[in-house]
Amino acid sequence: MKFAQEYQKHLAQDGYPPHWVASAISYRQLKKCIKKVQKELSELGLDGETLSEALRSQYVLSGCENGSVKGQFVPKLLVAVDEATGEPLDAKLAPETRTFLQELAVSQQLSDTRITDVSTDLSSRRSSSDDESSLESQEYRTIKMIEVPLSSDSEFFSMLQDELSGLTELQEQEKFQLNRQVLALSHAVAKITESSSSKSKHDLQQWRKIFELYLSGNIFFSTAEQDHGAHNYAKAHQRLQKFTKDLNSQVKMTVFKRKESQVFLQQFLSINLELLQNLKYQEMNFTAMNKILKKFDKRTSLSVQPNFPPTLSSTLLSQSTSKAICASLSTSLISLIPQIDDYLCPVCFSLAWRPVRLRCQHVFCIRCLIVLQREGQDHCPLCRGCVVIEADVDNLDDDMAKFMRKWFPGDVKAKQKENERATAIDLYGPAYDTKCCVM
Amino acid sequence: MALPKRIIKETERLMAEPVPGISAVPHEENLRYFDVTIDGPSSSPYEGGTFKLELFLPDDYPMTPPKVRFLTKIYHPNIDRLGRICLDVLKSNWSPALQIRTILLSIQALLGAPNPDDPLANDVAQRWKEDEKAAIQTAREWTAEHAKKA
Ligand SMILES: [Zn+2]
Ligand SMILES: [Zn+2]
Repeated sequence: MKFAQEYQKHLAQDGYPPHWVASAISYRQLKKCIKKVQKELSELGLDGETLSEALRSQYVLSGCENGSVKGQFVPKLLVAVDEATGEPLDAKLAPETRTFLQELAVSQQLSDTRITDVSTDLSSRRSSSDDESSLESQEYRTIKMIEVPLSSDSEFFSMLQDELSGLTELQEQEKFQLNRQVLALSHAVAKITESSSSKSKHDLQQWRKIFELYLSGNIFFSTAEQDHGAHNYAKAHQRLQKFTKDLNSQVKMTVFKRKESQVFLQQFLSINLELLQNLKYQEMNFTAMNKILKKFDKRTSLSVQPNFPPTLSSTLLSQSTSKAICASLSTSLISLIPQIDDYLCPVCFSLAWRPVRLRCQHVFCIRCLIVLQREGQDHCPLCRGCVVIEADVDNLDDDMAKFMRKWFPGDVKAKQKENERATAIDLYGPAYDTKCCVM
Repeated sequence: MALPKRIIKETERLMAEPVPGISAVPHEENLRYFDVTIDGPSSSPYEGGTFKLELFLPDDYPMTPPKVRFLTKIYHPNIDRLGRICLDVLKSNWSPALQIRTILLSIQALLGAPNPDDPLANDVAQRWKEDEKAAIQTAREWTAEHAKKA
């Protein structure tokens, strides 16, 4: 299937809201516009072949300096002519085209405003004396670039630019709208965390599991060392699917005890789905833009794609919406529910229960601290400060212990048992362990 | 004896999020024993080589450091003929908060930055100090000869 058709089909069938469809890059119109440019150029005798082979020319987009865009950008086709006579430097042109260009040069020379000097590339040749004799006299001329006025290419670029700014605006609206949803949801979930009813406590454990799965799912961004950074649509889609599947198998949704929890979960999932859809939409527009620029270059032999301002292409694919919304999700919503990974003992990798806070402020579980002291290790494993031996019962962090009992009751129980078993083995030897199991 | 939670977690993470240029796979019959490979860092004389190592976690790990040894022959001032490694974090500077992955990264870094002033292989260190160019050339040759990718 041709790209134009495929693109049209995706726009129609992928379930985008009408205003997204309306804002998408109009590939067909732009393609028609390219035809006009092609026609205009060939009427001037500057068809693709002449432009790419015979003519010394430059195609520039002014208005986009240093890769950023200032106002409207204006395309210019510049052709090399002799400074003195206005004659085109390239021989293979049709006679009418030569005359046309020369007349153009003369008239522009008179007004003297649209001439760009690019004689620098020849000045170095002029100074090397050895092979001067072998150079044709033409090489000594000073070159001027004159502008060939075209109208259809301006039309093409202003159309494209309008569409790109429309897309940027749409992304801003999306960001704003999604962020509002995230904040509203966070506000509602915060109410559950503040309540001390047993139903709320129960639901918080559910939320903790859900967010734990969500975080380890690395859906839109990855924290793994090998595939750092933002995911494309295909990957994010696959990750989100896996998350939903894991969610269904590992967290029984029916066991929420407060009705609104179920609603909140649906909202959370729908925010993620919308983000994903947004990613897909952006990728599709990015592809359309690249295809149309490529087509422009191919049809006209003006090479614009390499000069196309990177900021414009990157706003289209910056994933800035997913970045902003994921950041908002994690600071406003997910942070409401503490994750156990932030409260692990750095030595045994279990919950740091009971928490002992050393003078350097690093927290370890009491069991690991006892072992460190028994081994005569005075250095804090994290900062190497001499703070281990001096620690005593005053270093037990009761506030942290209370916090852990609230948020990780199951892990507290398990770790407590483990600690007691280890102490018993210390007292009675490894035999205790086997006896214990028999009982 | 059951495998401590810490070792299980470290192994899981090594498998799920491997470090680029490093692999560590536990033996099925002894989960404290790992087959390790480290790729020579780029723009070092070990570039292009893949080095095999063995790593063992003693009973009192992480109170004591893992035991690590090169199995592939390597010409390096801080690694001796038997593959033993002179690296502070494997000895006096070990901390129980360090992990298998951090240790292997340190070893990879040591390949990129040999330290002939703290040598284990004295003859290699001597040569490294006297004629660094020649020493690096030898290290390159050994890499090509012994550490070729399979
Ligand atoms: Zn611990
Ligand atoms: Zn510390």
